[in-house]
Parts: sequence; structure tokens; C-alpha cells
Amino acid sequence: MNNQPPAFPHALLARALGRDDVARAILGDLREDFALMVRMRGARSARWWYWCEAIALSVSSATTRLVDWIRPHPGTKTLDKIMANSFGTYGITRDVRHALRAFRREPGFFGLAMLIVGLGVGAGTAVFSVMSPLMLRDLPFQDPDRLVWIAKSADPTGGMTAVTSRTSNLRDFRRLSESFEGLTGYNAFFEQGGYNLVGSGDPERLVGAGVAQDFLEVLGVVPALGRNFVEEEGVFGGRPAVILTHGFWRRRFASAPGIVGTSINLNNVPVEVVGVLPPSFDFASTFAPSTRVDFLLPWPISDETDNQGNTTSMIGRLRPGATIESAQAELDLIVQGLQEAEPNRWGLDAAVSDLREKIAGSYRSAMFLLAAAAGTVMLIVCVNLSNLLLAKGASRTKEMAVRGALGATRPRLLRQLLVESLVLALGGAVIGTSIAFGVTRAVANSASLNIPLLRTVSVDAVALLFTLGLAVAAGIVMGIMPALQATDGRGTSAINDTSRGSSAGRGAAKVREALVVAEVALACVLLVVGGLFLKSFQNVLEVELGFQPEEVVGWTVSTSRSFETQQEETAFFQQLAVNVEAVPGVEAVGLIDALPLGRNRTWGTLRGVGMEYEDGELESAFPHLVDHRYLPTLQVPLVAGRHFGVRDTEDTPRVIILNESAANAVFRGQDPIGRMVTNIGREFEVVGVVADVRHQSLEEGAGWQMYYPFTQIGDFQTMDLVVRSRLPVETLVPGVAAALRATDPTIPRGEYQSLTEIVDRSVSPRRFLLVLLGAFGGTALLLAALGIYGVLSYSVTERIPEIGIRMALGESGSHVQRRVVGRTMALAGIGIAIGTLGSFVGTRVIGSLLYGVNPTDPVTFVAMAMILLSVSALAGYLPARRASRTDPTTAFRSV
Amino acid sequence: MAKIGEFELLVVLAILRQGDEPYANNVRRDLVTNAKRSVTRGALYRTLDRLKDKGLIGWDIEPSTSAERGGLPMRRLNVTEKGVETVRASRAVLLDFFEGLGAILDP
Repeated sequence: MNNQPPAFPHALLARALGRDDVARAILGDLREDFALMVRMRGARSARWWYWCEAIALSVSSATTRLVDWIRPHPGTKTLDKIMANSFGTYGITRDVRHALRAFRREPGFFGLAMLIVGLGVGAGTAVFSVMSPLMLRDLPFQDPDRLVWIAKSADPTGGMTAVTSRTSNLRDFRRLSESFEGLTGYNAFFEQGGYNLVGSGDPERLVGAGVAQDFLEVLGVVPALGRNFVEEEGVFGGRPAVILTHGFWRRRFASAPGIVGTSINLNNVPVEVVGVLPPSFDFASTFAPSTRVDFLLPWPISDETDNQGNTTSMIGRLRPGATIESAQAELDLIVQGLQEAEPNRWGLDAAVSDLREKIAGSYRSAMFLLAAAAGTVMLIVCVNLSNLLLAKGASRTKEMAVRGALGATRPRLLRQLLVESLVLALGGAVIGTSIAFGVTRAVANSASLNIPLLRTVSVDAVALLFTLGLAVAAGIVMGIMPALQATDGRGTSAINDTSRGSSAGRGAAKVREALVVAEVALACVLLVVGGLFLKSFQNVLEVELGFQPEEVVGWTVSTSRSFETQQEETAFFQQLAVNVEAVPGVEAVGLIDALPLGRNRTWGTLRGVGMEYEDGELESAFPHLVDHRYLPTLQVPLVAGRHFGVRDTEDTPRVIILNESAANAVFRGQDPIGRMVTNIGREFEVVGVVADVRHQSLEEGAGWQMYYPFTQIGDFQTMDLVVRSRLPVETLVPGVAAALRATDPTIPRGEYQSLTEIVDRSVSPRRFLLVLLGAFGGTALLLAALGIYGVLSYSVTERIPEIGIRMALGESGSHVQRRVVGRTMALAGIGIAIGTLGSFVGTRVIGSLLYGVNPTDPVTFVAMAMILLSVSALAGYLPARRASRTDPTTAFRSV
Repeated sequence: MAKIGEFELLVVLAILRQGDEPYANNVRRDLVTNAKRSVTRGALYRTLDRLKDKGLIGWDIEPSTSAERGGLPMRRLNVTEKGVETVRASRAVLLDFFEGLGAILDP
């Protein structure tokens, strides 16, 4: 294990602290704690921790020294200090005061400038904070670098069943593999289990995730309270025990410290609470974003769970020295050996990958895109501010020249101006930080965002350091050009110059125009990217879902009852549906084992009886267990044949309904009605064909789907009840809840959501990206407009005398107006041309994030160019109008 | 008598509580765990400097005994006579002020 703290922050801190014994002792303290962190959280986490601590301590120490240094020392003559520090840092406080005085003189200008910086810094910090848990911070586990994800197959098509394994695989890999220190897993289909908490108050449906007994141990998570599962609890039918998640413990038990050792009543069975998870490990947010997990319970690795098929998500901890490749090679050999020993064994395979990659990998490009967009906004902010300060600087050339004449050196003047822009940027950083706080809080609390680890998003110390760095960089970038311009040392000529607004600012004007062009170009890129995402989003929303989610509410119904026979259980659910159907305002009801866009599983593939297939022709098929009302209630179009009916029962021949994709592929276009198919080792008669339903995500095709009557195939734990009604949800809920209570008082009644909400959530990452990109694009557009307005407005003011003379000589007002607007359009045009070219190259890299739109979509490009042109024209129009109303006599007087 | 703030008082008390091992890391852990204070390293070291300036504490540098410190020395903190005196006076004031408030504080 690597027990050395990272060298760079160590050196930085050593430098900041100095060389005396106390400083060395402090370094030692930090190093000692580092070793402790390595043991507790792993090397990677500890290094990250060391970075934060060292930087914070360096800043703290440097600040203390600076304050000591600035504070007048008794006995030191001020003059001595001035002499000693004429080029150093002495007088920095005076520069800061000077800057603050300048701000007070023009609060409007500097307030606006700070707000602009604030927007940029806020965007940057917010994006940094959102990225941080996914990209920068360690996963909340000990030594997370050695954790790997073992899927059944590297190919994720085929839903969760394709990437989960049978528990016998886990058992055998544990026994035979030597690459791992530990191999564990959890039941990936945990949401299917229903646990009703009964006892005090209304029954509540809880979600428990089944985990192997050594799950927390392998991840290196130590319960905040209590202990891990023990062996008697980890076996099938063992002593019932749960470990509560921190959030659930806080919510339901008000963080009661005495919870461990007590019992809670789940499905009428008393279960002992043996522990509480630490707040750093949010199971749902890490492994199954947008779901909820209230507790962990043991998931036995036994024959009984093995019979349930592909259920388990496997996680391994590599031995020190082992790599993903070596582990993969070893597992390949083991798989081969096991398969040879047992040729009939199915579902035997393993694909090893990095756990972080599995959790965060698919979001990486989106995050980088956001970072790039935020960076572009920041760049526009700098350009804009630079521009504003240049305009300001022109009026200060004289002040600088006077001060230069009185003996101030150029570095001294430069420093003063840079301090000014730094103070401005830091003021902006304060605004930006509050924006970032607001944004991250909203993001972390948003339950509908389907992105992992989002609940841990916050503006932490590292993000604040990032903000500080960003602000300082921005202060320098935006201040350097105006400062150089204002102090270009033209001495006394400057004192005479500019007073008449003649050709004084020619050079400056060119620079400012170039900056505006740059701004427009950058804004153009952002707008095009935003436009492409808007179009993708529209395309996704317009996807043919295959069902009508409007006016449908879904309830997850789980009962605490136990049933003797399958028949009894289906009869119970049938009765429940009948009772709900009788509620006034309910138009139709239906039952299914899992709502669309929720969890999914596959059951092998489908074969038409009497058909021959080539290799690779057959796909995995997704099963749905439904009652006869479900498909009509969701208004899934019937393409051929019939729906299920009450007559399809346990005692009648087995039937199946296929979706169009499956029917067409399995029977190669022949009429499937009345034909037989095989699945899960049994034969079924195809009685109907329905439209494809997007059930995995809006962007993914339906794949092969098959519907079974739940009276014939009873492989479900909870059912979802769908209710179609025109009543508003809040009016509908009490009636349905009463009907549920009448059927079974232990059914929790709070577990409902409208299907439109479910559809919404499934597009939430895309919407999230779109909203942020939209905000960035909008900011960019606003800033570009402001830049154009500022430049033209200034140049019009500067050229009032010239315009006055022209008008006196007969040029019409409208001609002047056209000329100014023409100039605007020329600037905007060049900017747009450059921006379009940039977008053309840049958008290629985001192709994979788009849906149904080409990265070089001409419509978007043209539309965005038009928007930019119109906004530019508007921004140029106001100064143009002012110019056209120039009164020649006033203009002459100003000469 | 030297003036002492609440956090400074806690730090001095924490040093006294460490018995044979009055080191900054132990003091910090004690404050975080038992006083429920979030104590940044910078704040603690600054406070130690301030307490030393006031003459309430002192320290000796000694060679490290554990390999985890990478050979870097340790700072053994101690509370001066003046420090103990100041803590004593603070306690007296606090006890005086708590006197007779039982009815309000322990309803």
C-alpha cells in the first residue's frame, strides 16, 4: 500500500509553512493523519484528502503571514517600508482601497461587471461541483481503485438480465479465483421485492436491497451504528436482519441512536435492525440512481437464489497487484473449465470492468461537454469584461499619464489596475458562489434526476478553491489588456490626446472590435450546441412510446399476505383491480409486474415452433406479466389477433402476446396468430400482436417483448396497478386508496406516480443537460449583445463630432443609422462565420450525445446564426438611433 | 489574568485532557469527537500560536516515535502555570454564573 502523501501538495505546504521545527511538526501531524486515512478510506481517498488539507492549510498559513506583514509593525518607519518595497507588495491594501473607491464612484458599472463575472464563476463552480462526485472524488469506498464490476456480458443490450449473474457464478468464482481479495454482489432486481412496514401509523412500502453477507466488507464500508450481517443471517431462511440506510434512519426514526437491536415489523414479520449505514454511502444514489433504498437485507448466495436466474450484480476487490486484465483472463479460464465440466450450465460468463467506469462512465462525455460550455461562458465573460474595462481604460489613460508624470513606474500602475480587476473578479466570485450554492442545492435535492451520486453534490472546500482560482485567473485575463493599454506610456501626449475624442482610441477601438468578434464567435458555438440539444430533446419527446401515459397513474401494490396457491394470489389481485375499477371517475385499470421505463429483465429468447434460425438471429426477449385489462388500459395498439381475456386462466392452454418487432422477426413476416413459440422451456400460442412499447428508455428501441397472462405465469413479487382516469391525480388518489384499503388494509397506499412523471424522469438527464446548456447559451447571447452594444455605443459617442460634420454636410439620419447598423452586422457576421466554422468542427465530438439530429444539422446552424444576427442588430440599433439623432450644432460645440 | 476566548479555553482543556500524549492531532480529534466542534487544522494551529503568545501554553519539539510521521518531529504541548491559573479563573466565573439556574436549566 502506498503510504506516501502526494509530493506536490506536501512541497507546497512545506514552502508555505517555512522551515522551523514547529512547521516540521505540523507537516508530521498531517502525515500521521494521512496514514490513518489510508487505513480508513483507502489510498486514493487519502491522497485526495491530503490535497484538500494541504491546500487549505497553505492558504491559511499564507493569509496569516500576509496579515501579519501588512499590519504595521510597531517601531518600523513607514518610509523604510516604502523604500524597501517600492516594487513589492507593499501598498497592496492601498490599491485595494483605491479600487473600492473607484467602485463606489460608479456603482452601476462595477455592479454590472461583478454580476457578469458572477454569472461566469457561478456557472463554472456549479458545473465543477456537479462533476466532482462523478469524475473527481473517490467513490465512497475504501481503496476504490481496486474495486471492479463483474457483469455477465460486456454487451448491455438485453436489459439488466444480460449484465447480472446467477448466484452460482458468484459462488464458483469465489471458490476458484485468486485474483480477488473479495467477491460479493447484490440483488439487482431489489425493487421487485415489497416490504410493508406495519406497526405505528399508516403502512409504508419500503424498498430493501438484498446484498451478499460480505457486501459491506468487500466495499470497505463500516456501518455508522451497529454491525454487519453475520453468517446466521446470510444463509437462506436465516435469522431476519436489516441494516438501515442513513437517510431512512433519519427520516423514519429521527436518527434514534438506540435503533440497533430493536425490531421493525416487515410484512408481519419482526426483523432485527442490526446496523445503520454511514451517510457517505447512499446505496441507491450509487448503484441505482433515481430509485430509493430504505434498508439492506441479506441476499443468500445459495441454490434457492440461484434458481431465480440472472439476478446478481457482482462486485470484486482485486488483490494488490492484480489488474482488470489479469482478473479477466483468470475468470475466462474458470468459465471455460466450469462449462466443460457442466456443458448444460447456462448463464456462465464474466466481463470485468472498473467499478467507477460502470457507475460514472456513461455520464463522462456529458460532463465534459458541460465543463466545456461553462469554460466558454467564462471566456466570454472575460472578453466582455476586458472590453468594458478597455472602454473605461480609455478615459483613464489621462489619469495614468498624470500619475506616470508624477513618478509612478509602469509596473506600479499596472499593478494598481490589475488589483482593480482582481477585486472586481473576487466580488464577482462572491456572487458566483451564491449562484453555485443555489444550483447545487437544487440539483442535490432533485429526486427526479436519473444521474448517479447526485445526492452528494455540494459546493465543498475544493470547489471554493476552484472558484477562487477561477476568479483570480479571470481577474488577470480580463485586466491585463486594459491595463497595458491604459499604461502604454505615451506620457504627456496622452494628456493632450483623448480629450477631444479624435483619433485617440483608434488602436483601442480595433482591439475592442476584435474582442466583440471573438465574443460573438464563442456565443455562436454555444448556441449551436444548445440548439442541437434542444432538437435532440424534442426528438426524444416525440418518440412513439407505444402507450398513452397521459391520465394514467401507477400504484405499486405489495401485500403482506401469504398465499397458499398461485390461483389464490391472482384472485386476490383480480379482486383488487375490480374494487379499484368501481371507484367513481376510474375509467380503466390494469396490472403488470413492472411499469414501462422501470426495471427490466429478459428471459432467454423466443423461437417459433417449426422455424429454423441462423446464429445471432435471435435476440433476448423481455417478459411482461399482465392481466387481461393492462394492454387496453394503457392503450397499446393491438396490431393483430386479440387481447388476453378472462378466459385465459391457469387451466386453459398457455397463450402469449408478442410485440411487432418480436412477431416479425420470429416468424419472418408470416402471420403469427395461432402459431406456437417456445420460451423458458414451454410452448405458448401466439394470440395477439401489439405495438412496440419503449420500455427501457425513450432513446432505445423496444427489442423483443412478450406479454404473458399473470394467471398462467406467476413469477412476480409485487404488481403495479395502472389506473386511467380523467380526474386530477389528487382527486383520484383518496378513492383508489380507499379501495386498496378495503381489499387489504396492509397495502401501503402512498406508492403512486403518474406515468407522465415516469416518462419525464427517464428524460431527466437529457433535460438536465439541456437546461444547463440553454442557460449557458442564453448567458452567452446576452453577453455578446452587451458587448456589441458597449462597443458601438462607445464608438458612436467618440465619433459624435465626425457624425455631426457629416450630417451638417448633408448626410441623412437614416444613412447614419444604416452605417452604424451595417458596422454591427459586419462585426456580428465575422463572428458568426468564425463561430460556425468552430461549431462545425466542435459539434462532431458530441455526436454520441445527440438523438435523431446530425451534429452538422444545417437548420440548427442557420437558425442560431439568425438569432445571433437579430440580437446583434437590436444591440446595434440603439446606438445607431442615437447617432442618427445627432444635432450638428451640439456636435460642433463638443469639438 | 489573561483574556481567553471560548475556543481557546476548549483547546487548553483539551491539551490538559490528553495526559501523556498532548499532541496537536490528539487535541484536534478530542475537540471534533467530544466537543462536537468542526476544527480546521489552520484554526487550531493559529489558536496554539495565539495561546503561546499569551503565555498560556508552551511546547517542546521531540523526535518522532512512529514511522508514519516520516521522520518528522512531534510537538509536545504543555499548559503553563499561567494557563492553568486562567482556566481555573474561567471555571470559577462559569460556576458562579451557573449557580442558582438549576430551575431553568434542569426543568
